[in-house]
Amino acid sequence: QTPTGMLLFRMNRKKGDKGFESPRPTTHQVVCINNINFQRKSVVGYVELTIFPTVANLNRIKLNSKQCRIYRVRVNDLEAAFIYNDPTLEVCHHESKQRNLNYFSNAYAAAVSAVDPDAGNGELCIKVPSELWKHVDELKVLKVHINFSLDQPKGGLHFVVPNMEGSMAERGAHVFSCGYQNSTRFWFPCVDSYSELCTWKLEYTVDAAMVAVSNGDLVETVYTHDMRKKTFHYMLTIPTAASNISLAIGPFEILVDPYMHEVTHFCLPQLLPLLKHTTSYLHEVFEFYEEILTCRYPYSCFKTVFIDEAYVEVAAYASMSIFSTNLLHSAMIIDETPLTRRCLAQALAQQFFGCFISRMSWSDEWVLKGISGYIYGLWMKKTFGVNEYRHWIKQELDQIVAYELKTGGVLLHPIFGGGKEKDNPASHLHFSIKHPHTLSWEYYTMFQCKAHLVMRLIENRISMEFMLQVFNKLLSLASTASSQKFQSHMWSQMLVSTSGFLKSISNVSGKDIQPLIKQWVDQSGVVKFYGSFAFNRKRNVLELEIKQDYTSPGTQKYVGPLKVTVQELDGSFNHTLQIEENSLKHDIPCHSKSRSLEMFADSPLLWIRIDPDMSVLRKVEFEQSDFMWQYQLRYERDVVAQEEAILALEKFPTPASRLALTDILEQEQCFYRVRMLACFCLAKIANSMVSTWTGPPAMKSLFTRMFCCKTCPNIVKTNNFMNFQSYFLQKTMPVAMALLRDVHNLCPKEVLMFILDLIKYNDNRKNKFSDNYYRAELIDALANSVTPAVSVNNEVRTLDNLNPDVRLILEEITRFLNMEKLLPSYRHTITVSCLKAIRVLQKNGHVPSDPALFKSYAEYGHFIDVRIAALEAVVDYTKGTFFKYFDTL
Amino acid sequence: MRTALYGSKMADTASGGSGTRSGSKHATTPADNYYLARRRTLQVVVSSLLTEAGFESAEKAAVETLTEMLQSYISEIGRSAKSYCEHTARTQPTLSDIVVTLVEMGFNVETLPAYAKRSQRMVITAPPVTNQPVTPKALTAGQNKPHPSHIPGHFPEFPDPHTYIKTPTYREPVSDYQVLREKAASQRRDVERALTRFMAKTGETQSLFKDDVSTFPLIAARPFTVPYLTALLPSELEMQQMEETDSSEQDDQTDTENLPLHMSTDDSGPEKENASVLQQNTSLSGSRNGEENVIDNPYLRPVKKPKIRRKK
Repeated sequence: QTPTGMLLFRMNRKKGDKGFESPRPTTHQVVCINNINFQRKSVVGYVELTIFPTVANLNRIKLNSKQCRIYRVRVNDLEAAFIYNDPTLEVCHHESKQRNLNYFSNAYAAAVSAVDPDAGNGELCIKVPSELWKHVDELKVLKVHINFSLDQPKGGLHFVVPNMEGSMAERGAHVFSCGYQNSTRFWFPCVDSYSELCTWKLEYTVDAAMVAVSNGDLVETVYTHDMRKKTFHYMLTIPTAASNISLAIGPFEILVDPYMHEVTHFCLPQLLPLLKHTTSYLHEVFEFYEEILTCRYPYSCFKTVFIDEAYVEVAAYASMSIFSTNLLHSAMIIDETPLTRRCLAQALAQQFFGCFISRMSWSDEWVLKGISGYIYGLWMKKTFGVNEYRHWIKQELDQIVAYELKTGGVLLHPIFGGGKEKDNPASHLHFSIKHPHTLSWEYYTMFQCKAHLVMRLIENRISMEFMLQVFNKLLSLASTASSQKFQSHMWSQMLVSTSGFLKSISNVSGKDIQPLIKQWVDQSGVVKFYGSFAFNRKRNVLELEIKQDYTSPGTQKYVGPLKVTVQELDGSFNHTLQIEENSLKHDIPCHSKSRSLEMFADSPLLWIRIDPDMSVLRKVEFEQSDFMWQYQLRYERDVVAQEEAILALEKFPTPASRLALTDILEQEQCFYRVRMLACFCLAKIANSMVSTWTGPPAMKSLFTRMFCCKTCPNIVKTNNFMNFQSYFLQKTMPVAMALLRDVHNLCPKEVLMFILDLIKYNDNRKNKFSDNYYRAELIDALANSVTPAVSVNNEVRTLDNLNPDVRLILEEITRFLNMEKLLPSYRHTITVSCLKAIRVLQKNGHVPSDPALFKSYAEYGHFIDVRIAALEAVVDYTKGTFFKYFDTL
Repeated sequence: MRTALYGSKMADTASGGSGTRSGSKHATTPADNYYLARRRTLQVVVSSLLTEAGFESAEKAAVETLTEMLQSYISEIGRSAKSYCEHTARTQPTLSDIVVTLVEMGFNVETLPAYAKRSQRMVITAPPVTNQPVTPKALTAGQNKPHPSHIPGHFPEFPDPHTYIKTPTYREPVSDYQVLREKAASQRRDVERALTRFMAKTGETQSLFKDDVSTFPLIAARPFTVPYLTALLPSELEMQQMEETDSSEQDDQTDTENLPLHMSTDDSGPEKENASVLQQNTSLSGSRNGEENVIDNPYLRPVKKPKIRRKK
């Protein structure tokens, strides 16, 4: 026997919080994968767990393992009997009579509980041989050796094998671990928990042309005797949970980071130039986190691997991250750059909180997601600026509020009683929130969003300095613990718990944040405010009324301080109101006298903002008059206030609103996202004002002034995207303009011709950047200009009765889509836009509705973005025919 | 007295070509006469060249061989020039056809003018003209140019000046910006349309209209074996463009109208548009690990040879 691969795994832990101690703490685990067959998509290997029994009569050891075939189990070299049972394979028995979602959901939750490693359960039950019982009673070490194989895995490990000629390496075949939450059990037997830590030895024997990337330090690479394969030996001495173990094997190109030699990047063949550019920024993220956390990166090395068919864009594991290869880009690509950098920064934040520091239990997950999301936010603020940061926070806030109001509350820290889930805190959901594996993906996304927003609320309460001190404390404790031996029982310091985190906060800041935690962490829901006001001239007092809706699903009652900012003629004044049970009205004295200016005869108030710092997870519907929104847009410096004002102005289609929006649009000092938003609002206002609108179509003269040639205003300048703000505006304006409608509710001919001219004269030859996103948005603009066809009793769409404008549009789309075959654009953005546009034409009855084209683009082998766009079109088609079917009934 | 076997000058010009004519010389058709006359002229040429090269006499066989070679050579020039001229869809060879032919045959054309004007050159008398063809008198315009000294007088006269004298006309090059842009745009559009239509015609297509497959032909979607490569890698055109593009040489007409390239870095206050941080900045402050020359990274280390394992 020559076992080439093995995985050593050991762990030890102490669960202070839960009072639960693993009966089978592992201290070290070996994982050895000695054969990987890409053709058959199979894996053969063994694991060896070093276990310290903590209870005497431990005669059964339960481990996690899914879809693995277990050949043989030995405990201390003695053959051991084992039973393998995975209850999630058949959640409901076939004969069961109940067939509803509720029944399934309960059965599924029960099945997941039955194998929950945190409760000492597992799919694989090993009987300790009776010869060893005495040994166990003396609490001596057990070594459990399991031989296993894996055939065509359905999850956990993903094989990408392109169907072409050549060796696997030449074909760019690769395999990587993936999955949602703890899913390591899919590819080797282990204790698949985030709370059971051990040290690791990982060995992978792969084809000599391949590289195996895994956690910890690569100790050595050794050829096999026939020199056709090599074995990668990894050691991970920092205690790590099995769920944070990962693997990627493929014919990767290797790039040692030029700024940090302990960081290595890997990508698929031919992509090295893109990898170089994409990762050239990473060291700055390292520097940022290390600086704010005043803590070195915890692992001795870091690896990034970019792979195809990624399960998620970013997956963080101990000392390595697996990214989607589609994040790679060249220096010519503008739009992808910030997105990719954000992914890199997210991955790195999770290295500190999530990988190095793990969690005590599932209900502590919010702390890890909260902290990593929060420090990622700090990086955003530093890198992209305060405006971008505040915009992002507002976006996240809007998202969580919309989700909770629609679907029901998101609970960050669920506490589960031992008994039945009768008092299930999430009874509004179709699934149990007791286990990560029973959650919906959307819920989990919103959960992460809420977690980092709540961290920001804590920061508001205790200050950023204290916040960072808390993080630093957690990290340094973990760091000390990680270098200790298992027997010292220190490793639990590397697990974060809600109570430990809160204790740390109170120790560091001396502040009581219990009410805040109770409000946002221990209970679900968001706050819904309705505000209105009246100005009492006699008393020179602002009478503010703030109502709450706390009876609708997903809402909760808010009691506590609420900041209100009143912008008066004489300046801005902050007031902190105390929101209490029964007080709706609040009198706020004004400072300015209304006499000062005649034009403000009514009141000296320019605008009012409720909770301007977003210190409450809330939605605010506030009523103030149109001129106040206009002032807010023009003169308030906060981008969130500006965006709120823009959205509010949609309801006031007046020349004054038009002017305010146009002025903002022209102001180069204004945040580019605000200007982009203003474009769409202006289009809506113009449509509402269509009968009284004077002058050329909205934004046309502005676009001409900004982007067209002085001598020939109908021709756009040759592209120069060096100024990104104007680039984004140039992309957006045509898209918004195409939404303009005339009195007949048609897109004005002038606008359509304008867009067609932009396409015609588009010239990117002298540009430093690719114009693929710009051209894609011009196609989007064409699609936006399409209005429903005038249909005479459902006549069949043919070329002969094609609307002449649509003919022009189709001409462009055909050419674009065909050119894409010859000169494909980055991420095929143009194909994506063309498919969307064709669906719009179908939907509006200009082109026969037919899913055949989309189906061909949805096939495997097309780029993922194209497939998604095509599938969306097919879904849209299906929906359309579905409703049509019902109409005919 | 030397006997010429191989003409010294001719040796390097005559190359290949066969055309040995054999057969009876009984008939005296005009064609035969013409052939004989030509042959005779060529013999005179060869003889005079030999004389010029310093031979005093030559054996008939040698003269015949050289004549044959000269004739082959001239025939080959004619044949080849005709091919070149037909290749460019013309019927009359031009000077450049002849030049290309000579070059192709390995002749150094640049030596020709000097050779033609050499001093010891012998002028051959005009061949006897038997049936002077009557050329119809064309309307003459202008004064025909006299022959230069190195062209024998019996050669045909220069044609009327108006047939070869050129008067270059200069039209203002189109520099109007609008016209140029218009031209570039429509040219590109035409090329793209023609190209995609060609591709669509020669390959599989899809159509949006069941009753019509030719008005808006779409090249059929074809899956890739490795889809991410085409989606992520810049096309060769783009690569080329990137190399050529220097941000400083934006087109002249619009340059002045373009906005300042970079956001000013004066900041403070939330109005600062921070997207400028995105500027692809490759210059960095310095290595985190100092200026080590040798990078020690485990993935760069050589793979070890297998150890001989001992069985337990």
